[in-house]
Amino acid sequence: MRRRNRPPVSYSTPIQPVAEPPPLLERRSFRLRLDPLLTLAVLGLCACSVLTIRSATSDDIAGQPSYYVTRQALYVGVGLALMYGVSRIDYSRLRELKYPIYGLMIASIALVFAVSTATRGSKRWIELPFFRFQPSELGKILLVLAISAFITDRMRRFDRDTTARVVLLALFPAMLVMAQPDLGTSLVYIVGILALLFVAGAPWKHFAALAALGAVAVTLTLVALPAAGVDLLKPYQTARLTAFLDPSGNPGDEGYQQQQSKIAIGSGEKTGRGVENSTQTSLNFLPEHHTDFIFAVVGETYGFAGAALVLSLYALLVWRGLHILTVAKNLYGALIAGGITVMLLFQIFVNVGMTVGIMPITGVPAPLLSFGGSSMLVTFLAIGLLQSISAQARETAASKGRTPLFQ
Amino acid sequence: MSPLSPLDERRPAITPQLAVRVAVLGGIAFALFAIVFFRLWFLQVLSGEEYVSQARENRVRKVKIEAPRGDIVDRNGTSLVETKEAAVVQLLPNSLPSVEREAAVAYQKAVSAAERERLAARTASEALKRRERRRGERTTRADRREIKRLEASGREARKVAVAPLPSSATGARRLYRRLGKVIGVTPRTIHKRVVQQLALTPYAAVTVKTDVGSSVYNYLLERQGQFPGVRPTKTFLRSYPEKRVGAQLFGTLAEISPEQLKLEKYREVDAGTRIGSGGIEETYDRWLRGVDGFTRVSIDARGRPRDELPATRREPRQGNRVKLSLDLQLQRAADKAMQTAISVARSKYPDAKAGAYVAMSPTTGEVYALGSYPSYDANLFAKPLSRERYDRLNSEAEGAPLFNRALLATYPTGSVFKPVTALAGLASGQLTPGQVYNDTGKFRLGSQVRQNAKGAVYGPVNLSEAMKVSVDTYFFNLGYRLNEVAGRPIQTWARRLGFERRTGIDLPGEPKGLVPDARWRNAGFAAYERCRAKEGLTQGSQAALFACGGVDRSWTAGDNVSLAVGQGDLQATPLQVAVAYSALANGGRILRPRLGRAVEDGAGSLVQEIDPPARRRVDIGAKDRAVIMEGLRRAASEDGGTSTAVFKGFGGTVYGKTGTVERGVNVPDQAYYAAYVNQQNRPIVVVTTIEKGGFGAETAAPAACRILAEWYDKKAPCGAGTAPQ
Repeated sequence: MRRRNRPPVSYSTPIQPVAEPPPLLERRSFRLRLDPLLTLAVLGLCACSVLTIRSATSDDIAGQPSYYVTRQALYVGVGLALMYGVSRIDYSRLRELKYPIYGLMIASIALVFAVSTATRGSKRWIELPFFRFQPSELGKILLVLAISAFITDRMRRFDRDTTARVVLLALFPAMLVMAQPDLGTSLVYIVGILALLFVAGAPWKHFAALAALGAVAVTLTLVALPAAGVDLLKPYQTARLTAFLDPSGNPGDEGYQQQQSKIAIGSGEKTGRGVENSTQTSLNFLPEHHTDFIFAVVGETYGFAGAALVLSLYALLVWRGLHILTVAKNLYGALIAGGITVMLLFQIFVNVGMTVGIMPITGVPAPLLSFGGSSMLVTFLAIGLLQSISAQARETAASKGRTPLFQ
Repeated sequence: MSPLSPLDERRPAITPQLAVRVAVLGGIAFALFAIVFFRLWFLQVLSGEEYVSQARENRVRKVKIEAPRGDIVDRNGTSLVETKEAAVVQLLPNSLPSVEREAAVAYQKAVSAAERERLAARTASEALKRRERRRGERTTRADRREIKRLEASGREARKVAVAPLPSSATGARRLYRRLGKVIGVTPRTIHKRVVQQLALTPYAAVTVKTDVGSSVYNYLLERQGQFPGVRPTKTFLRSYPEKRVGAQLFGTLAEISPEQLKLEKYREVDAGTRIGSGGIEETYDRWLRGVDGFTRVSIDARGRPRDELPATRREPRQGNRVKLSLDLQLQRAADKAMQTAISVARSKYPDAKAGAYVAMSPTTGEVYALGSYPSYDANLFAKPLSRERYDRLNSEAEGAPLFNRALLATYPTGSVFKPVTALAGLASGQLTPGQVYNDTGKFRLGSQVRQNAKGAVYGPVNLSEAMKVSVDTYFFNLGYRLNEVAGRPIQTWARRLGFERRTGIDLPGEPKGLVPDARWRNAGFAAYERCRAKEGLTQGSQAALFACGGVDRSWTAGDNVSLAVGQGDLQATPLQVAVAYSALANGGRILRPRLGRAVEDGAGSLVQEIDPPARRRVDIGAKDRAVIMEGLRRAASEDGGTSTAVFKGFGGTVYGKTGTVERGVNVPDQAYYAAYVNQQNRPIVVVTTIEKGGFGAETAAPAACRILAEWYDKKAPCGAGTAPQ
């Protein structure tokens, strides 16, 4: 339908001589340059999120039935504006800023240790006047931007050295996040970085080596060294870490949560129990029902139909992400698109897998669905970058005489 | 998409390698989504019915398991506060009849009315006494009788009786009778406990009996149907193996209040949790408080546990151990020293019964011993306390054992304050160490004549001699001269050394005290005058005193003269005196006294050091300090010094100053002593005071000497000194 407004393009437009000023400057400015399918997926997910949060949290805070939903709607509004704003900038410029971006990421994550107070044993948030900011969320995007730039710079000689450096650069923030302790988010970092290496074309044997190294490191810190009497960590730190890594140290509660989540989803059957009858949600059997377990609320309230719709929207999102990766005008864009898409895919799978009982409980929010300012805004930022890559790709194609819109 | 497909042919082909990799990613994504879809299909479509029935039967009860609090130990690891498990019998508030609730409301009203009367009487009697003291006139018999009457009704609130349970409440009567038989408590007592506790905490379960035997506990547990609303439960009680020693420092436990629940520091605490209230328990609550556990029991529609579903359980985690800087041996010795000193004082002043002591490090601010005499058995508070007993613990007749004088009581300090005056004189340049003052035994100010204690005459003295024998007239003269100096040097230096400032010790409730100056007194007098004019009363009359307070005249030079020797309106806690002497001893660092030393886990390994406190520095001239320390040394260690006789046989150098505080006409003086000793590389500052204990050298100095003897492991006789002041 957008094709009606599209300026008529003649396939035989002659190539502009270099000396002439670039044409179409004005026309370009009032074109809405968003990828329609990607935007559709985002809007659909946000609608599902607001709808679900409204019904699930109406009894959570006495006297304020719309406490969470108004906030989430606000995040969606701000996020959409943010997404549009980001889509209009040229992401390629960010490549020059890789050092500041990397520094900002490390500083903001480290700041958490200095200023935040521990909530349930972990330090993840910085209290701002209006909401609690979680630097490790923003760090996902910053990591992708910075590391993509590093990889792009070293593309000419992609050898073992490059892979090693990239992995080290990424491991540092991942370790910081793990020490908060927030294992889920740090896994997202690691998956994101593997995706970048993969898209950049690192040889298969590098991945094999990395897998072996990872296995050795985990074994060493948690099993071998303590057994040999060398304690890298203080006893209480080890206790904190292993309690988090090892769910059997805390079996009762986590097993309970997962059991309740499965009951919630299963009881939704094909078309759901409706808002009124969703006892798992309304009677608080389901823990964290507006954040980590929101997918279970969708499953209970709207059944297989609702859950499948949300999954389809997610699938659309991932497909558009992979597509944008292929059309990106340069390698930097392709890397960013790859990193962001795989991170989103990982979060979706871990979160949904957790609610349906095929993944362990790790506190990773569902993108664009879970309640939470940091997570929502950062996801919108990521989608904005995808939109920017897509818009730039179309523009480049157009200036080369091609105007892909749907492809 | 397809309409535009002709375009695709013109696009630059992505590299084959990238194409393969994107295909792999797409494949992975497809596989993951497929897994989730199939899982959803399985859960919702294939086994949906089973989960629907599970959701219908899903009734889970979460039962909290209270976590024991951490222990409190002294600097050597000796246990001061422990936790033990005990069975208690409680009545659930919802099951109590409404008559009990009404009775509780009426009782609460009566108690607060009685308390208001008591406070009014106390204010009146204090104001009256203050006026008598200030005027120094002879009191008439009527006045004395009036004071006595007011004092008596100000000391203890009128007793409020709990109305008996009305006979109409048959259900409750029967329950109390049957329950009373089982736990061995009369029905009347049960009723009384119910009413009194409901009045205090209206929505908490009422504890009828604590620490019942296991047979009673099991009996009630098995017959819950026969005793509706009765809940036998296990709880943790605090126990205090040292009983009276340090009892005032620890504080108690109380159920968290709705207001506290909203505070940031209690964000992780659930309603119904007992938290520290007062003392160390409150300050270090975050560490001492454990993490409550819970069990989740699945129950069927009739409320019985369902065996086929496993009960999940999270074990409670005991709180951390807090290690104090307190030295139990020293604290014990100090208690004993106070006891001895008071029994000595009693032979002369029968009213003597209370005192306080502080022993702290002048280098780090660690508190080695701190307490108030008399003390009480802390175990009393581990169980519900009857109102009568609580009132008795607060009553002045018993010496108010709950009141921690070392920290909370503000008194004038007497001559112990003289080093501050001397420092003010030296630092402001109004005094030189060699300057000689000729003491004639009397100091005239207008129509007033003030004398040395015991009417002594010392002749010509310089500063260190004046401190050695505590010449009042020397300091009267100095105070008079400093009143004229700009910048009020005495007040300035007193505040710099920590008077009229909270010391910041890690115990709650500290008062600021008062360093009187012209601004304070004139403002107070202006308020008095306004109030007096409004009420139409005459100045200085008793009625005006009651209505408008005691500041019934403006500042005069005489006030500064009184302040110079620590008398008059000066108000300071013994702890503030200890901080000021520490600053003199360490050359100007104002320490923040600290009881908490470290937080340890159950196995005794360190979790967190309690941060060394922030410090403030005051510039004390090295020469000025040397002169003052010399004066203090001569007062305690040179023949003829005020307290030298006390420290006979102690050995080594002692820096000390006696104080004798006049507390009013016909009231025995209060004894005060402050000492600093630095031997065996273990410096310590000790401050002792004994209310109505006579001269400083008579009772307070020997007590301090005994504390020091314990600290340095010496055998000194520590007899009473004979020299005045």
